[in-house]
Amino acid sequence: MKQRITFLVKDPDSFTPEKLEVKDESLAMSAVEAVKEHRFTISLDELPAGLRRTLKQWNVLHIKWVSPNPYTTVPPFTSRATPGLHVFFSSHKNETQSHLCSLLHSTFGKELKCSRASPAEEVATPLFYAEEAERADAENQYFSYLPSLDGFVANIQEKICPQSSKTCRQDLQTLLKASYFDIDYSSTSTSIVLTAFFDSPPGGWTEDILKPSGVHTIEVGVLTHEPNPDPEDIAFGGFLTMLGRDTAPKATRFQTPTLHYPLSSSLSYTTSFQHPTGLHPTLQLSFASAKDLSPPDASCRLHTHLTLPSYLFIDQYQFSDSLFLSSHRLRALANISGATDLEAPDWVIPQWGSSALFEIAHPGPDSPIPAGPWNVSIPMHLRYLPAQVASHARVPVAWPVVFWACDAEQDGRGNPFDRRNLGYEGAFGDGVRFMHVPPAQGAELVEWIDVPVLDIRATGWVETGTIGVVVAAFLGLCWVLFAGGRKTKGDEKKKQ
Amino acid sequence: MALSTFFGSPRAVFSAAILLRAIFLVYGLLQDAYSPMKYTDIDYFVFTDAARFIAQGQSPYDRDTYRYTPLLAWLIYPTTWPGFWFSFGKILFAIGDIVAGWMMFRILRSYQSMSQERALKYASIWLLNPMVATISTRGSSEGLLGIFVTALLWAVLANRIALAGFLLGFAVHFKIYPFIYAASIVWWLDDDQIKGRRANKSATSASLFNQILSFLSRERLALALCSFITFMALNVIMYFAYGWPFLEHSYFYHLIRIDHRHNFSPYNTLLYLNSSPKINANIHAQPSLELERLAFLPQLLLSAVLIPFVLSKKDLPSTMLAQTFAFVAFNKVCTSQYFLWYMMFLPYYLPESTLLQSPSVGITSLILWILGQVFWLQQGFQLEFSGDSTFFPGLWTASILFFVVNVGILAIIIRDVKSKDPSTPQKLAAKKKA
Repeated sequence: MKQRITFLVKDPDSFTPEKLEVKDESLAMSAVEAVKEHRFTISLDELPAGLRRTLKQWNVLHIKWVSPNPYTTVPPFTSRATPGLHVFFSSHKNETQSHLCSLLHSTFGKELKCSRASPAEEVATPLFYAEEAERADAENQYFSYLPSLDGFVANIQEKICPQSSKTCRQDLQTLLKASYFDIDYSSTSTSIVLTAFFDSPPGGWTEDILKPSGVHTIEVGVLTHEPNPDPEDIAFGGFLTMLGRDTAPKATRFQTPTLHYPLSSSLSYTTSFQHPTGLHPTLQLSFASAKDLSPPDASCRLHTHLTLPSYLFIDQYQFSDSLFLSSHRLRALANISGATDLEAPDWVIPQWGSSALFEIAHPGPDSPIPAGPWNVSIPMHLRYLPAQVASHARVPVAWPVVFWACDAEQDGRGNPFDRRNLGYEGAFGDGVRFMHVPPAQGAELVEWIDVPVLDIRATGWVETGTIGVVVAAFLGLCWVLFAGGRKTKGDEKKKQ
Repeated sequence: MALSTFFGSPRAVFSAAILLRAIFLVYGLLQDAYSPMKYTDIDYFVFTDAARFIAQGQSPYDRDTYRYTPLLAWLIYPTTWPGFWFSFGKILFAIGDIVAGWMMFRILRSYQSMSQERALKYASIWLLNPMVATISTRGSSEGLLGIFVTALLWAVLANRIALAGFLLGFAVHFKIYPFIYAASIVWWLDDDQIKGRRANKSATSASLFNQILSFLSRERLALALCSFITFMALNVIMYFAYGWPFLEHSYFYHLIRIDHRHNFSPYNTLLYLNSSPKINANIHAQPSLELERLAFLPQLLLSAVLIPFVLSKKDLPSTMLAQTFAFVAFNKVCTSQYFLWYMMFLPYYLPESTLLQSPSVGITSLILWILGQVFWLQQGFQLEFSGDSTFFPGLWTASILFFVVNVGILAIIIRDVKSKDPSTPQKLAAKKKA
């Protein structure tokens, strides 16, 4: 097992090397205001045989959990994904389905919508790819909103921590503070990589990082993001320490192209639903000021990537009309994949939901920039939800991500910090870099919709009432047909 | 009087009908061009997308929610051509309206022996009806059915049995529900109604075998054979061309569908309730009898058996109205487009109906029919756009009330038709012609 811990200091001026101290096999730090990435690389040989066997069924498996709590990013940890649990995978066998659902239910919790009763391959949906993109990666996608890793931590503690080991439980407990957590496995590699990302705790990190027994290497980096003249590179300076090998932090500096870039302006967005939501909610992306919405580069196009649970769907056919699109400040529905049935109620949809990629309009260079916020809207529709003991069902909709997709001159593949397989990169193919618009700081990155449902507390009479009225109507009409009513005029005339 | 000169001239009425549709068409083009809210019906985009798939050598069923025969997509093939051709389908549907209206006019003249002015007045219920004109110019195909069904009625009255069989098979292939007319037409095709040729024979031979034999008249067999061959031939051709998706989307879908989204049907709330998985079932563990599965029983008994059996020999067009009315009212799914299905029979029934003879009954019925819809629409709006859970009691009550109003009107229609003399002018005319 290898560990790599990287701190990215938020404010380079506040950091001095004196805050670090290396002793024997440990590194102590005090009050370092930084975001932290903790990465475990575990060789397959180190895994229990059962787990190894489970993993081998997959060709690739990327599990990405993102917290709904807002967090700040510091390059190179700039990537964003919709809060919730994402799984991107492809498997060797065609039984992915049952593996997927049993894996998810046993590790993350039984409440995830993933039905093993459904036919194979129906829960997951195909991931969209640009034609020229490499298809070696995951082919399928699954998503569910999951507000915390509570279930995951409890299940894993149960599975791997020896009864006696308190530290094992405590270590896992720290995951609950993560802003995102990735598990990446590929059959072409001999290891599985776990990555957890943490925002700075109040007051910064004051820690004593020890090299535990059984860990081969543990590398700790404390870096600051440095400006550099090349817009396609990000540069870092700071200190690297190999615990147990180095006696003092080693100064380092490097620069690299990357896949995910921060935005230089202070632009951010909020997500909301126009009220009342009814059965046709309209999602609104709001950018505080229209004038900040100028493309960072001439090649850049603004996009939003939506990950919609099955109860919410987009009618792709609405978005073929240019007037309709422009009235919502959209350019195009670039891609849509998953449960797009326009009629079915939620309970007959086996898939987790659907994902969509929109290109968003922004104020053009020729037209006047409107004052105030720039609002983009995306009309959606709700499926019927099961009747229940309430008049409304409350369902979560996690915020979509917003980014500029720009042409990249250089291949950002060499960057050891890049996060990949987030569900939208494949749609763009190679030679594209992403400049992320961060969500506004503040509330949770999830909206809640109250969906009107049939309230079964009141419907005791529906069955009897309906059947009664229909039967009465039928009998009444039979009576009119055969017995009642006026006597036939014709008959009377004939008799006369 | 200006109005009587207007209705005195077929040219004036048909010009007005064409003009009405032309105005709606142009208005629709303008609204579509300048507003994100489209005049064109969503279904029209479904048809034209399907036609585009066909033009590319693909299946029309590659378009989601295309639930029709491939013939419809073929019919509007020119919509795939550039420019103005996109509106070809709407023009076709509008022409269909006019042709159907002209056939209604001819039927009223020939088979109900009406004066030209009177016939034009009643045909105008269809021809100058803004609802009919709107539906076809928005690009909904329901109006196209007007042609087939009216032609079917005309062919039967004109004793063109082979043609009637072909039209019946075609109409059922197109939209399933016209199969209910088979019963009334077959029952109406009575020997003495048509020719009186073998009337004496059947009167004397009372044995069951002979009765059956006389029931299986040449006309009835010809109708059954022609319609069956047409229907099956179309299905076989479409099946070979488009395979399983054709059967799945144009037939089976309609058999297994449970339309959960709210509509006018009285069954709607019950279908939602009983098809929804039971959450917190312990709180309301009331076992359901699932009687809604038998909903087809009263519907088909009335529309395809009892009404044709009791009424069709008295007055075929009015019987077809009653059948359609019963079919729509008792259907598990009911939207306002379905009202067009029975509207096309109103010109034959209304002239001698209680609804017109007794204005208080007629106006009350009309007001109740409209109020039922208004109440329902208001509840539906609350649900769709305000997000209020109006499923119960609001929408349920509204759909039950609307159902009761419909059943009341149906009772009036049935009573009216039942009280008619079997030898109505149409049959005399039919006899004369034969």
